[in-house]
Amino acid sequence: MPEETQSGTTVLHLNESRCEGYGFCEERAAELVRLDEDGHLHLLVDRVAPEQLDMAQKAVRSCPVAALRLESAGA
Amino acid sequence: MTASRRIVIVGASIAGITAAEELRAGGFDGTITLIGDETEQPYSKPPLSKAFLAGEETDDDIRLPDLDHLGIDLIVGMTAHGLDRDRRRVLLDGDDVTYDGLVIATGARAATLQDRGRNPDGLDETVLRTADDARALRSLLVGGHRLTVIGGGILGMEIASTAAAAGMEVTVIGTTTPMLAALGQYVSQLILDRAIAAGVMYTVAPEGAVLEAVGRRKRVRTADQTIESDAVVTAVGCVPNVAWLRDSGLAVSPGLIVDERCRVTSDIVAAGDVVSLQGAPRTPHWSSALAQGRAAAAALLRGDDSAPHVARPYFWTHQFDLSLKVAGERIPDHDPELLDGDLADLTALWRWSTDDRPVAAVALNRPISISRLHAHAGQA
Repeated sequence: MPEETQSGTTVLHLNESRCEGYGFCEERAAELVRLDEDGHLHLLVDRVAPEQLDMAQKAVRSCPVAALRLESAGA
Repeated sequence: MTASRRIVIVGASIAGITAAEELRAGGFDGTITLIGDETEQPYSKPPLSKAFLAGEETDDDIRLPDLDHLGIDLIVGMTAHGLDRDRRRVLLDGDDVTYDGLVIATGARAATLQDRGRNPDGLDETVLRTADDARALRSLLVGGHRLTVIGGGILGMEIASTAAAAGMEVTVIGTTTPMLAALGQYVSQLILDRAIAAGVMYTVAPEGAVLEAVGRRKRVRTADQTIESDAVVTAVGCVPNVAWLRDSGLAVSPGLIVDERCRVTSDIVAAGDVVSLQGAPRTPHWSSALAQGRAAAAALLRGDDSAPHVARPYFWTHQFDLSLKVAGERIPDHDPELLDGDLADLTALWRWSTDDRPVAAVALNRPISISRLHAHAGQA
């Protein structure tokens, strides 16, 4: 993954049908995701900047229902 | 401890992995060796009794994202069987491994009736703890067959729910009404009502159940009835995986005891289901594993300069038509205050108070962030 992110772009995906609105990801990456008053999750960025990648990984891993995914996309 | 060159983490589930992440985030650039006793890549356990058990989710769905970017040596399929603290060695089946700092995150195993002397014939017990357990149990979920679930706690009820949805005739035997110890009488009664509405038979047997052989089949006996079924699953809690520490001299009851920073000794920390925070009852939940994994890593790197771990109990469950999120210490048995929602359409935000002080909050069938639920429960 590191090589891909250097040459391309990393995108954070939310699978809304899986998301239960716990907010573990928000605790790990408040810059990237926000849970609204109704408990719905919003992505704050389309693309994850290289310096945000560690944070994004933590958010993805903290989700107990795997609602978040990181994917590499072409630049 | 910043001088540590090699940190070994025993246990490759969410607590151990979180600790690994936090060690790197905290600037540790030495070797991290993460050792798991299962042969498969690390995965998330909460779906095992729900969508994964139902067959709605695959192995890929529950897989935890890979750790490649963290530069971690992951060893799977290796069981630690001893700890030599004097020589700082974890004893493995193959080569032993030495450490400068150690994270113990060995989790817990399923408790059995055998543990409690309630399986006199020594029958194999079906339990649910690992992905392999879930796959085996899934093969027993056959529409029209009868399943007996021993245990009316969170796991037993989630299994009952999944099995009922698969068309099984399900009987649950609990020592109390469902999840009474965790949720109090009010919510316990609601769960019982919804379980019955879903076709589940629920039996309260305060003295518990005994598993017996009848020919080649299993039978469950309580004080006042005998239950025959096609399959029996034991869901009577979990036991911390501390047997490998028996000669270590560490205090392991009711779990591996840690201080307020998740430290066991100056060079050993611990996190997750194996842990007892300062001798308190264990809190084997996802949220505890995350918080303790972070605290343990910080304590290993920064010692007394790390922030103490603040336990904020939180867990959730999905069963029948109920999705419950729970924050707080112990829910009192009295009726809660309804802050929002409408029980007629099965939505609610409840709060319990003791002496006018909020102590617990539960959200039913509505999304709410952990921090907001904690705020309702009086936990800053």
